[in-house]
Amino acid sequence: MNPGLLSYFLVSAFGIGAVVSGWLVFRTDSMLRAAYWLMVSFVAVGAMLVVLDAQFLGLILILMMSGEMTIMAIFMIMFMMNPAGLNPMTMVHQHRTSMVAGVGSFLVLAWVGVVAEFPDRPAPAVDPTAALGEELLGRSMLIFESAGVALLAVMIGAIALAAKRGRFGDADAGSVEPEIDVDTGSRT
Amino acid sequence: MTTLGIGIQVAAMLVGGAYVLAVADRLIGGSGSNVRSAFSYPVKRLSFLMLQPVTTTERPDLAAWILAPSLLLGLAAVGAVSIPIGGPSPGGDIPAGLVLFGAAMLIVLVAVFIFGWAPNSVLPMIGGYRFAAMVLSIGIPFSLVVLTTAIPAESLSVGTIVESQSSLWYLLVQPLGLPIYLITAAAIAFWGPFDLPEGTDLAGGIVAEASGARLAMWRFARAALMVTLSLMGAAVFLGGYLGPVLPGWLWTVIKTAVLLILLALTGRTMARIRVQRFVWFGWVVLLPLALVDVFVSGWVAL
Amino acid sequence: MIDLLLVIAAAVFGIGVYGALSQQSFVMIMMGLELMLNSAVLVVVTFWWGTTGGNPSGQLLVIVILAVMAVEAAIGFALVTAVYRSRKADITEKLRRLRF
Repeated sequence: MNPGLLSYFLVSAFGIGAVVSGWLVFRTDSMLRAAYWLMVSFVAVGAMLVVLDAQFLGLILILMMSGEMTIMAIFMIMFMMNPAGLNPMTMVHQHRTSMVAGVGSFLVLAWVGVVAEFPDRPAPAVDPTAALGEELLGRSMLIFESAGVALLAVMIGAIALAAKRGRFGDADAGSVEPEIDVDTGSRT
Repeated sequence: MTTLGIGIQVAAMLVGGAYVLAVADRLIGGSGSNVRSAFSYPVKRLSFLMLQPVTTTERPDLAAWILAPSLLLGLAAVGAVSIPIGGPSPGGDIPAGLVLFGAAMLIVLVAVFIFGWAPNSVLPMIGGYRFAAMVLSIGIPFSLVVLTTAIPAESLSVGTIVESQSSLWYLLVQPLGLPIYLITAAAIAFWGPFDLPEGTDLAGGIVAEASGARLAMWRFARAALMVTLSLMGAAVFLGGYLGPVLPGWLWTVIKTAVLLILLALTGRTMARIRVQRFVWFGWVVLLPLALVDVFVSGWVAL
Repeated sequence: MIDLLLVIAAAVFGIGVYGALSQQSFVMIMMGLELMLNSAVLVVVTFWWGTTGGNPSGQLLVIVILAVMAVEAAIGFALVTAVYRSRKADITEKLRRLRF
């Protein structure tokens, strides 16, 4: 396969964008910025998908994420004590372990990606959107429909979980804020 | 056509359309203004806003506040790029142009939410929240009626959809399409009667703290968004550049202007509805109607 | 080209792992999970594009991942809301016991 120089350039640029914005998600204090940095990361990946000839999937990814990230921002603002990030804060635990785990998984996966030999069978230059449509409503219709049923089940389940009033009265009846003990080491 | 040519075309359409919209809005809604002053009103208003100092608030998210109007304008431009204006483009269309348009129009939610959040002020933030509730309840009908036009055309490219209307406009083939599209488009552009994010009950809502060049930019971006939405409505429901005698680009301009004036008229003459009732309307009325539209079109296509 | 794409996806995945393990707030943990799914989408499309000869099952897998993302977000937010209602907990440290 011989992708053009332009594809290389675009993929590199969007790739750097996806990685940097993904990193900034965890480096910013403002919850709104965190949510929308994540959206920038998704948009960059969607753009890479478009460069890789999967236009429909890339655009659908962007379309889906714009709504989801706004909902995420609303939830972040709801549940964080300092959503606007007007004061600096660090809300992390086991920081070193996670850093090691993150870098380690990156190194292992990147090593696999660079070292392993993959077959070279590029996608033919036909309309991939039409092929996807044939697949969705043909051979793999059962999988597609199962995804739809799963989403319906999730809608019902999510409402049941999050509803304020259930069979046993108010969900928040008698709830009290648990105390935080930051020193976690010696707990009996 | 070259990329530069398309860029110039889109910019001309957006600026011209914004002017038409502003004049129509002034003629319909401006009380006691004569016709001649309405035509110079957009320029006067723009000069006034550009000379006005830009006020600020206590600790705003300044980067987001500056970014949001540009983002809105960029989204309007991206949505317009996929629409053929003067005739079939020789270089070929964007393959999934309709999906590109849909994605751009749903990211408008992000731009408005950021613009409401950024001033660090209560009323703009409530405006942004209102807009989120509105767009999440009409986003699905909006996408459905736009994508339904792809069923008879058997293509997601806007150029092919326009070409397939050479015998009959989709306005007549899918009678539910254009009304639902115009209602949801007015809501996505927070244009009256759905200008709840900017409602007077919120003292201006998302623009309560905006002034000067920032407000001018925001107003222009919103007008450009209206133009893009009307362009797409003209292309997929009114046959775009197809028409007798006159050149193609003129037909596009005429149809877009008709939709813009229609939107200006309804925006100024219909009563605003509360956001709760609008959300109810979106889920209970528009969504089933949009699904009927899809089913009927699919049935006819079979 | 495939190497480059896989390295980018690995970097996004690594950031996601770091975020999911290090963050205290539930919603921030979900952001880490979303980043991991993001890299999964990229890897699947990379292999579909480069190694399968355009087999549409690869694209189907992306649709399934998008459904998984929606499921994760919906159930995740519902659980966060439920936990906040019953325990007033918004960070993981407040959920030391799994029962009352």
